[in-house]
Amino acid sequence: MQISEGCDNGPRLADSIAQWSQWQLLDSLLPTGGFAHSFGLEAAVQSNLVSNPDELKTFIIHVLENTGSLLLPFVHLASVSPKLETWHNLDKILDATLTNEVSRKASISQGSALMRVGSAVFSELPSLKAMRNASLGSGTISFHHAPIFGLICGTLGLDSTDSQRAYMYITMRDVISAATRLNLIGPLGAAVLQHQLAPNAEAILEKWKNRDVDDACQVAPLLDTVQGCHGYLFSRLFSS
Amino acid sequence: MGNEQEDKEMEMGSIVVEKVGGRSSVVHCFSRYPVKFIIPKKVGSSRTDAVWVYALNYGGGIVSGDQILCKFSVGDCCTMVLTTQGSTKVYKSVGSKCSKQLLEARVGSNALLAIIPDPVTCFSTARYYQKQVFNVSSNSNLVIVDWITSGRHESGEKWDFDLYRSINNIFLEDGEPLFLDTMSLEKEKIGCIHELVQDYQVIAMILLLGPKLQFVQNLVQDKVKGIMSEQLQHPSGALSHKRNEAGYFISKPSLMASCSVFGTKIAVILNLDGTAMISNYNIILWASSRVEIIELALSSCLLRTIVF
Repeated sequence: MQISEGCDNGPRLADSIAQWSQWQLLDSLLPTGGFAHSFGLEAAVQSNLVSNPDELKTFIIHVLENTGSLLLPFVHLASVSPKLETWHNLDKILDATLTNEVSRKASISQGSALMRVGSAVFSELPSLKAMRNASLGSGTISFHHAPIFGLICGTLGLDSTDSQRAYMYITMRDVISAATRLNLIGPLGAAVLQHQLAPNAEAILEKWKNRDVDDACQVAPLLDTVQGCHGYLFSRLFSS
Repeated sequence: MGNEQEDKEMEMGSIVVEKVGGRSSVVHCFSRYPVKFIIPKKVGSSRTDAVWVYALNYGGGIVSGDQILCKFSVGDCCTMVLTTQGSTKVYKSVGSKCSKQLLEARVGSNALLAIIPDPVTCFSTARYYQKQVFNVSSNSNLVIVDWITSGRHESGEKWDFDLYRSINNIFLEDGEPLFLDTMSLEKEKIGCIHELVQDYQVIAMILLLGPKLQFVQNLVQDKVKGIMSEQLQHPSGALSHKRNEAGYFISKPSLMASCSVFGTKIAVILNLDGTAMISNYNIILWASSRVEIIELALSSCLLRTIVF
């Protein structure tokens, strides 16, 4: 069905259709491979840093806090300027900023998958596919997750705050999903926890939103170290 | 323009090291209150070619509102080591003023700069900002140790400061960023810092960059992998009150370390969190045929030497 400017319902229909795309972007059904990453939770469990529900809750809050302080600037800037040059610049800076090898590889893996899926699924936005093809050829772009997520959000018509909120949402979604797969919490408990943590996530968003990449920082050094330990786990379910 | 003026006012020290008669030598040294450099002539073996610089602050620490900038330049093929005589104490903040310590360094081709100070200790309510910027060539070598303790234990201060922000940035010749790392512990923004760091009393980052340190990098990676693999155990299922069969609480590892490779596989970062103020962990590393020994003893105020 074509959405033409001559149509009476033009803008409203476009908005409604856009919402379907936005919801699809946040749906865990989208095959972006987010389920392969535990954000350091698996390592935290194996080193006894997380061994009860309270510690799990605290851990998730720390992940959200660090996501806010370190990654939201990249989502923010990509979403307000969803252009090739902006994306490439942010990708380069994030590659130097993600000093933790495990996190860096996870970001590249998720970002590549998201860009591949996004350009195939949201085919009415040819710019995504074009940008992807241009970047694959260059060999210098790492395809980090946060800038690509911001880029797609911006292209889909989400404003910057919503884009950043969406990034917090999928981060929380993925850590909690990892918690259920690690048998730390059951599916219903996970859903309850996710709802309980929404106000925390929103407060964290308010604190860290709309910042410049120069201000990107780590606020949870222990979390960063634990995430880096994932490679030392003898048996593991997740890749990070 | 304004920045240049500010820089001039803040510049408390500068050192330039170049080859003179085939040996690394200090060709320029400037310092003014509250900074003082001591450059002893005889440090380490006479075979080794390295300039050792001890940086001191008059008064033994950084006072609220101090703004200090030091610049260093290490010429091609030279070696310079910058260290301290004791832990850097950051005194309590007066009137919410933040103390700043800035370091700018240029490292030439095939040169080595080692920044191996004692740890920073922030007193209760202290506000401290530290930024270290390094401009390097593609074959420069860099050792950076950046660490902080939780505070004055004897006074019961544990992670009781208001702000600690440490920035380490490395840029290549063309201005391309290689490494951009900022750690920010701010009471106002994240609440109880103690909760984020738990029982760990020391946070350290050790960075090893450059072809001269390849051997050391490999050793560190293997050593950390060995230590951590031993510490991590297989979980025993669903969350519960964690006691083992004997009824004892399962404890967390006293040292949490991870080692990452960054850049084009020529650098290694070691992140460490240690619980004990005086830790038992020594990482002893041997490197190259010139018998370089790097021994890092993570104790309360002691950082062993690099001997070339």
